[in-house]
Amino acid sequence: MGLDELLALLKTDTAIEIIAAVIKILVVLVVCLQVPPVMVWIERRAPAMMQRRKGPNRVGIFQWRLYGLIQSLADTVKLVFKQEVVPRGANKVAYHLAPIFGVFTALLIACAIPFGNDLVIFGQKIGLSVVRLDVGFLFILAISSLAVYTVTLAGWSSNSKYALLGSLRASAQMISYEIPLGMSLVPIVVIFGTLDLNQIVVSQGAYPWAWGVVRAPVSFLLFLICMFAETNRAPFDLAEGESELVAGFHTEYNSAKFAAFFLGEYVSMFVLSCLASTIFFGGWQAPFIPYDTLVKLVGGYNWIAAIIGFTVLILKASFFMWVYVWVRWTLPRFRYDQLMGLGWKFMLPVGLVNLLVTALVMAALEFH
Amino acid sequence: MSQELMFYATAFLITVCSVMVVTNRNPVVSAIYLVGDLFLLAAVFASLDAHFVAAIQVLVYAGAIVVLFMFVIMLLNLGPEGKAHLRIPAPELAVLVLTIIGFTTIGTLLLTGQAPGVGGEWSPEAIQTNGGNTFTIAMVLFTKFIWPFEISSILILLAVIAAIVIAKKDKKQVVHD
Repeated sequence: MGLDELLALLKTDTAIEIIAAVIKILVVLVVCLQVPPVMVWIERRAPAMMQRRKGPNRVGIFQWRLYGLIQSLADTVKLVFKQEVVPRGANKVAYHLAPIFGVFTALLIACAIPFGNDLVIFGQKIGLSVVRLDVGFLFILAISSLAVYTVTLAGWSSNSKYALLGSLRASAQMISYEIPLGMSLVPIVVIFGTLDLNQIVVSQGAYPWAWGVVRAPVSFLLFLICMFAETNRAPFDLAEGESELVAGFHTEYNSAKFAAFFLGEYVSMFVLSCLASTIFFGGWQAPFIPYDTLVKLVGGYNWIAAIIGFTVLILKASFFMWVYVWVRWTLPRFRYDQLMGLGWKFMLPVGLVNLLVTALVMAALEFH
Repeated sequence: MSQELMFYATAFLITVCSVMVVTNRNPVVSAIYLVGDLFLLAAVFASLDAHFVAAIQVLVYAGAIVVLFMFVIMLLNLGPEGKAHLRIPAPELAVLVLTIIGFTTIGTLLLTGQAPGVGGEWSPEAIQTNGGNTFTIAMVLFTKFIWPFEISSILILLAVIAAIVIAKKDKKQVVHD
């Protein structure tokens, strides 16, 4: 087969789809997996900044200290080389499966998030999310409800009292806060009229007064709080609170599996931040610059505009990651009964009332 | 061709997972394989263009109901002795009978072409022209099947109330002095 024939084969529809899919998967995977090392660095330097001290800044390679970024590398190397101790009596299947669930669900959610408008390459329309589903964020809710198993299986399989207690509390917390999470997203469906995430981003427009956060502020507040509860972070981290339950559900995990838990946690923080920016903050749209104007500004090249859109989404998600770290190091932890009371007695009724009011307002608007 | 291949691969995995559910000694590990089963079933639904049903299957069944199963299993905390008490005599015969009934039913339905839903009024093209999966399901659910919908909501509410009443501690038993 000569070069011309090879090129002609590559320009067929299926080949373009496959190559585009592979590139999208690689990009999403690499971006998601680069988040935890950066987050570990921010997690230690940002509170240092807030508390008027310096964080880790000693680790360096040949005297390049890079403000402590190499600390993440050192931590990872340490965790990988540690001895792996499996507790006696631990259930082998569940013990090894639990960290996998965490990383799997987080990366699967990242597949449904659109990071750009549809591109037309060689006559083939390619959506810029790894999968283009017309039930976009129902898929995301479904996968995030599978994340409960990480915590449940990890604690149960460890054959340890503290792990079991921590995991039961954490899983009860996660399933309790899944309901206000879904309930806060239903008014979004009512307002935008579609479950497709790319459609939601496009219909938000570029101007901040039409974004989801202005159209559904109570939903945004509920979603923000449930975001923290779903990832076991910030004031809802009773399950892994160091002073409460040794280390909660991951007490008996060490070395690479411990790293996998943290990977899963940071990646799920990142994808939920991306989701929040997609639904409430306009996603890949640059503020005040409509997409067509942006394409004209870069000289009509769609792919440069797509890269800019991707960068904008990452910046918005980074803002939410900063809020995660900020809230974690500012607020004290909830007690367990306060936490459950907040979820069931406050957030669920507020979510229901929000849905009712949104539905009434949308129905009233339609009659005019 | 590739769709058939995917279906056969998924079906094989579903069979493997189902066998693991039934033959495992540990109930929690059975529940894990049940999650795998339901997730793969959702994959089969998605390959049939029923994306909404697939997402709802994972959200409700695999993500909530099986979690409930797991909580109950962990709460009951059956040791090996506990499980021995629950052993029904001659389970293999019951399984054999049920399998024969199942295969006969499905085989007859498929061979005579009378399986409900095959070639029904809502083919994938009809759904797409009607406005997509979610819209069609919502319209059909709230117009044609409104009565079953409302009655099942009331049934679920009754079940919740019954569970709360049963789980409430009896006040007379607490004061034992």
